[in-house]
Amino acid sequence: MNGVGVQAAFISLAVLTLVSAAASVRVRNIVHAGFWLLPCFVGIAGLFALLEAHFFFVVQLLIYVGAILVLILFALMLTRDVMNPAIPQTNRAGFIAGVFCALGGLFAAWTVTRQAWPGASAVPAPPAEQTRALGADLIGLYAVPFEVASLLLLAALIGAIVLAKSESPARASADGEPRAEGGEERPEGAEEPRTMVGAGR
Amino acid sequence: MGLNGYLIVAALLFGLGVYGVLTRRNAIAVLIGIELMLNAANLNFLAFWRFLAPSAMEAQVFVLIGITVAAAEAAVGLAVILNVYRDIGSIEVEQASELRG
Repeated sequence: MNGVGVQAAFISLAVLTLVSAAASVRVRNIVHAGFWLLPCFVGIAGLFALLEAHFFFVVQLLIYVGAILVLILFALMLTRDVMNPAIPQTNRAGFIAGVFCALGGLFAAWTVTRQAWPGASAVPAPPAEQTRALGADLIGLYAVPFEVASLLLLAALIGAIVLAKSESPARASADGEPRAEGGEERPEGAEEPRTMVGAGR
Repeated sequence: MGLNGYLIVAALLFGLGVYGVLTRRNAIAVLIGIELMLNAANLNFLAFWRFLAPSAMEAQVFVLIGITVAAAEAAVGLAVILNVYRDIGSIEVEQASELRG
């Protein structure tokens, strides 16, 4: 895996990742920022493939591009109207934070280049054996962390459903009174179909 | 491109993520910055795995758990943001200041 092709692939993937990441933290339209994550995640998946971590190439595409990105886009579209693209999307700390982050990132990169890493050892196993070894470790040596991670994910997802579903107590009590008096002049009609469905059942 | 190239990309990606977290006013954009930082960490893990210890599986297990935690974080974070939006009608992080002492 050495050659001009790999180098060209690495450089183009790195540029794709960094440019789209910069765009997604910088562009003013927040929906565009969400969509700029797509080339960023795909670029990172490509870097994983170049690193011969084939399993994580697939996982990155499935989970980040397929799940997390869609989740972010859904949340953006559910809340978009309050964030007018015409108003600035960065806070007052923008310039100082930019300088700080640029210096921090460049300093970390500079530190990396000065470090003498121990020599690269063997080549990774072919993908099938690699993934088999990972799976064997996940149900063997690392079974407990794996189960804890799955429990965490389950708890977090149930918690997310409960959080997103439940109407907050403050708003429920604030809205409860006018709703009881009469539904005609109630400004927000979005809740109406849900109660209709509930009554129909 | 050896290990250094990947580490430099990860460092710059992490810097961009921190920039997003520090400067964005929209809470979802803050989450986007966090995702970028988590991706940079995963990239670092896999780069070290590939170039320093390709026969050990620890890095891959770590990355798998990291991705799991990132997914959990995104789900809970977006649920919280939706709730905040329902409560105060805005997801600007500066307006969600009810807990400020």
